[in-house]
Amino acid sequence: MSSINLTLKIWRQQNSDALGRLETYTLDNVNTDMSFLEMLDVLNEKLTKESKDPVAFDHDCREGICGMCGAIVDGVAHGPEKEVTLCQLHMRHFKDGDSIVIEPFRSRAYPIKKDLLIDRSALDRIIQAGGYVSVNTGGTIDGNAIPISSQKAELAMDAAACIGCGACVASCPNGAAMLFTSAKISQLALLPQGQVERKQRALAMVEQMDKEGFGNCTNAKECEAVCPKGISIRNIARLNREYLLAALTEG
Amino acid sequence: MWFVRLLSSSIGKKLIMAATGLLLVLFLITHAAGNATIFMSSDVFQSYADELHSHPLIVLVFSFSLLLIFLCHIVAGLYLFFENRKVSHSRYEVTTRVVKNSFASETMPYTGLIVLLFLFVHIFGFTFSPKDVQISVTVKELLGNFFYALFYIFAFVALTIHLSHGFWSMLQTFGINHPRYNTLISRLTLGIPLFFLLIFGGVALYFMTGLGAHY
Repeated sequence: MSSINLTLKIWRQQNSDALGRLETYTLDNVNTDMSFLEMLDVLNEKLTKESKDPVAFDHDCREGICGMCGAIVDGVAHGPEKEVTLCQLHMRHFKDGDSIVIEPFRSRAYPIKKDLLIDRSALDRIIQAGGYVSVNTGGTIDGNAIPISSQKAELAMDAAACIGCGACVASCPNGAAMLFTSAKISQLALLPQGQVERKQRALAMVEQMDKEGFGNCTNAKECEAVCPKGISIRNIARLNREYLLAALTEG
Repeated sequence: MWFVRLLSSSIGKKLIMAATGLLLVLFLITHAAGNATIFMSSDVFQSYADELHSHPLIVLVFSFSLLLIFLCHIVAGLYLFFENRKVSHSRYEVTTRVVKNSFASETMPYTGLIVLLFLFVHIFGFTFSPKDVQISVTVKELLGNFFYALFYIFAFVALTIHLSHGFWSMLQTFGINHPRYNTLISRLTLGIPLFFLLIFGGVALYFMTGLGAHY
């Protein structure tokens, strides 16, 4: 076990209307076995003891599956490690004396609530627009009643791995939500259960995505590079196909 | 209306870029094929040009279709550029791009503008050149000028960079992304722009260096 001393520059903002700024904190003897969020816990304990306002940040499961946590660490969503969420980023990836800049995920569609805490309900509204399969009656169907090829099942599962953390939007140079929306559309479009509402879903979810103020995709691939679940931009290609087909044939 | 909804959506605008981009690439292939005759001799090139212009209607319809395609590509491109600019690049104190080789994708609007500027110079120089001078003479005269040829080569490099993102991006927008074809696509994305650079840049270099003095 070793420990490191850090200088943290953290975005502090009182509420969504207030102006924010970066504040500098020093934190000594950070255990390198700690996760990034545990490091922030230690900082908050220190701030509380000093009667200062602790840093507000999103977190929940702390095992990389819920999609609640996330911040921009030195300009990269979820920090420098590949395919991990912020809670699964460990302090052993930092060196003694490092200066770390921590900022909230930013997008026109993500209002900052406080410090690193953001409102990602725009993503929820995209799901609400059509990211579901309607089952209006009857009991639970046997899981194996509908045959699905293993290849299709795997692709659908890869898309369904999206935890909706919103890092794709935060790191997109244009603030586009294409990777998120494409994953949510793909996971259903690939499966037989999703066929009934397939076209309607593609049209409604893209329309909602545009309405929320997300940007236009320019295929910069940044989303794929920072995605903690390794969602491929192949899903975006699938979304483009789904949307074109639906726009040409639906209604 | 279904097509208004399609074209006003974020994906629809990308589809305009992709579809017009594809047509422009196809035009460049025909243009490159015609220009390649320069390497044979001035007579071959002149007879190609004469043959083409002996059918004025073809040239007229082709030119206006091309103008329309260019306008769609430019207008949709500018619209996307200004819309995306609302998302400031400086929204973070520290910005780190994770993707390597992102130069081409970051500079698409700017390389596009260089190509547009080139287009004005090119059309002014060749399409509206004096009718009494043969085109095979005009090309030698204009490109024999060192700085004129240098500007041409500069513009072709910009075009190559533009296409080295654009070609792949176009296929991605059409929804073509499959592990079986992705290697081929990435090779074409490098090969097709380099092919244009070789032919178009080669013509400029041919006259610039004086190799084509007696062509």
